[in-house]
Amino acid sequence: MLPLLLLLGCGDKTEVRVSDATPAADAKDAGAPVTGDWLVIHSLSDPEQLNPLTSNDASSSEVLGFVFESLLTREPRTLELKPLVATARPEISQDKLTYTFKIRKDVRFQDGRPLTGEDVLFSVKAIKCPFVNAPFLRVYFNSLIDAELIDPHTVRFVTKEPYFLNESVLGGILLMPRHYYDPENLLQRLTVRDLTRDPEKLPSEAKKFADEFNRNFNRNPLGSGPYKFGGWKTGREIELLRDLNYWGNGKESIDQPHLDRLKFRVVNNMDAALVRLKSGSLDFMEALQPVQVVRGTNSERFNREFKKYEYYAPTYTYIGWNNEHPIFRDKRVRQAMTYLTDRKQIVKSVLFGLGEVVDSHIYFFRPEYDKSLKSYPFDPQKALALLNEAGWRDSDGDGVLDKVIDGKKVPLRFEIKVNSGNAVRKSVALVLLDELKKHGIAASVRELDWTIFLNDVKNHQFDAVVLGWQMSTTEPDAYQVWHSSQAANKGSNAISYKNARVDEILEAYRREFDPQKRIQMYKEFQEIIHDEQPYTFLYVGKRVSAVHRRFQGVEVFPDGLRPIDWWVPVARQKYANTVTAQ
Amino acid sequence: MGAYLLQRTLLMVPTFIGITLIGFLIMRLAPGDPAELRAAGGLGAAAGGGISVEKRGSVDEAMAQWRAQYGLDKPLHVQYLVWMKNLLTLNFGESFKDNQSVWGKIAERLPVTVKLNVWSILVVYMVAIPLGIYSATHPNSFADQVTTLTAFVLFAVPLVWAATMAIVFICGGDFYYLFPPGGLESLDFSDNWSIWKKITDHTWHLFLPVVLLSYDGFAGLSRYMRASMLEVLRQDYVQVARAKGLQEKLVIYKHVLRNSLIPQVTILASILPGLIGGSIIIETVFSIPGLGQLGFESVLARDYPTVMALFTVSAVLTLIGILISDILLSVVDPRIVFGRRLQ
Repeated sequence: MLPLLLLLGCGDKTEVRVSDATPAADAKDAGAPVTGDWLVIHSLSDPEQLNPLTSNDASSSEVLGFVFESLLTREPRTLELKPLVATARPEISQDKLTYTFKIRKDVRFQDGRPLTGEDVLFSVKAIKCPFVNAPFLRVYFNSLIDAELIDPHTVRFVTKEPYFLNESVLGGILLMPRHYYDPENLLQRLTVRDLTRDPEKLPSEAKKFADEFNRNFNRNPLGSGPYKFGGWKTGREIELLRDLNYWGNGKESIDQPHLDRLKFRVVNNMDAALVRLKSGSLDFMEALQPVQVVRGTNSERFNREFKKYEYYAPTYTYIGWNNEHPIFRDKRVRQAMTYLTDRKQIVKSVLFGLGEVVDSHIYFFRPEYDKSLKSYPFDPQKALALLNEAGWRDSDGDGVLDKVIDGKKVPLRFEIKVNSGNAVRKSVALVLLDELKKHGIAASVRELDWTIFLNDVKNHQFDAVVLGWQMSTTEPDAYQVWHSSQAANKGSNAISYKNARVDEILEAYRREFDPQKRIQMYKEFQEIIHDEQPYTFLYVGKRVSAVHRRFQGVEVFPDGLRPIDWWVPVARQKYANTVTAQ
Repeated sequence: MGAYLLQRTLLMVPTFIGITLIGFLIMRLAPGDPAELRAAGGLGAAAGGGISVEKRGSVDEAMAQWRAQYGLDKPLHVQYLVWMKNLLTLNFGESFKDNQSVWGKIAERLPVTVKLNVWSILVVYMVAIPLGIYSATHPNSFADQVTTLTAFVLFAVPLVWAATMAIVFICGGDFYYLFPPGGLESLDFSDNWSIWKKITDHTWHLFLPVVLLSYDGFAGLSRYMRASMLEVLRQDYVQVARAKGLQEKLVIYKHVLRNSLIPQVTILASILPGLIGGSIIIETVFSIPGLGQLGFESVLARDYPTVMALFTVSAVLTLIGILISDILLSVVDPRIVFGRRLQ
């Protein structure tokens, strides 16, 4: 099942029709894709840096995705792994520890030099080099213990333990030209095994390489992808140019780029960005604000020039109950909280209807998602019955429920923490607060600066929090969030959820290479979570993008829109004759 | 005078150390951890949706590595001393965000901010001083009442609201297209343009930001000017000047104006740091990559080296500004003599 492609009718808030409202002109223009024209993309701020290893923010990955390639990629519709720089998916040994990739011989970097196994090996070594400022990326590669060249176009990786996601991790390494990023070939003498050992004992070359790599390659990426880096005006614009000599040009099953330039233009303010879109200096806004979707983008003029695409953004918002808190230790209290949360109303009033209530942490388009889960309705009566059953009563008549826990009378009073700068999450908490007040539950909301908020969450210093997790559109692995071991040491299981059966499932799941069996395992896992309600799952929001109508081939994929496919018919090209000397 | 200057300059050293120490402590003792922030995928995760599950994991070791890389694992006093030592060679270190030299980042954004602020300060003074003089010399006239009312209204209008309204209504979009909705030059700006075309383009882009940056400034300053002028007008020597038959023009511009400028000179001290201070609101709404934005983002991202650099530069400029305004005071007011004040 795929996200539905929905359009918004003029001035009508309800979603309508799948493919109407397209003026006839659009249909006439369509034909075989041609090259030319630019796409000016809105970006809310500059990426931090454009280094394939040391960047750690979403806007960098968006830009780098056009410049770099990896051994494997994903089929956009099915999200199945498929070869890109590799000739095929890797050969995996019987013990599931060794992965052998064969590399295409026709791949070239943007400076014309060929990509070989040496570059693949270098890219891995750079990640493993402990002095390279990429500790957060290196975490994924903890399991990788060795890599070697079998011949100039074959690379073999050795991993520590069997893990079904290793193929995707190894296949996703962004490949960097060794001759560009390590001109002195400083890492040559070192193997991946060397680099995994004590950093103190590494030769000085490793340090020297890392110092130069950390400092000199943050604003000048060079890869083998279809677009090459054209320039970066800080705080204003990043420009990518179509590589006329792209190795994949005309090759089967390789994405063919059409647009001559991609410009990521920085507009820091959403209101100003919409004005700029309308006045023609932007072509594409990926995420309109909900209020902008309802107001300001429904005029006839707007619909003549732009088309809105509505699709789910794979992120869910939830209320996390601190499972070690005396109040929330009891499953019945957590269930009651979910019954008291009017999730449909939240989606309607806070998100302007742009969202879907969810009951699981698995993206609902994944086969692992358990469709049989029965959603908790909004039912205050049932909630009160559950609380009563759990021993919560207003024994002293002060209007607040209370209960004797560990010999002490405790009122049903708690605080919900949210991070400032996210109005939606705050509104969610306030909607819940209103409801709780009616039933003798004294809750309050506290807004905290993001860094402080994160700190409190990691140190388990909260009663309840409103937060979000990104959902995997590919094979999920929820170990980091739900395994009991992750509750210690500031891990991601900040609510301290602990269930022995869940631990068992999560561990077995990681070693299971049969997708069907994994689906079965996650079904049970989701049922346990659903019953225990450690989180009150809220919703998955929708994203609405606006794209200028001159672009053809715009389609919604499970992962969103893919500008790499877009093109403009010659007659409608806005920035003509732009392929200047490159 | 020379001895005075020397003494003042030397006194600035301990003041400066005190300022940076307090700044350093405030920033570092405030909660929030840059390593934590980076592990979570930056500030985008806060505004947008969630942190990615896969990006978390056993990051503790990773965070320790990261902290070690920037020396954040050392005790606080050691970190301060290292920072001070680097400062002596004018080395502000590297930004946590992109490993670029902090100096480079500031230098890149400085011209934009200075340009914006020079114009807006000029506008503020050019409007406020004449307006204040007029109001003071025609107290309680209809025109004075109108300017008073306007000044208070302008003073009360929140900048972020005014800027957003301007963008929505007169910068294209669904209404009028009188000014560009942001940036400092046209998108097709090229160096081959004629000087005249470049100037027009820049003016067109600067107009709105400068007007918006100035309006509450001149509203305030014209009030100061009016008040200090009225106070001087009430002095006996003004009566005397009038009584001895001096022309009103001469009384106002030679005697009253000069004496009422003394408070304005004191305000001048804040201009120098103001030049680089920048306005976060205007820079953000109009997407102008200036220092205000840099400072704000750096604070949110706990990018300590950048925050400290900006803080230090504006501390130095404030100190210099105060020194200059003290010297200027003696020019405006001959009663102030340095040597004697020192004794």
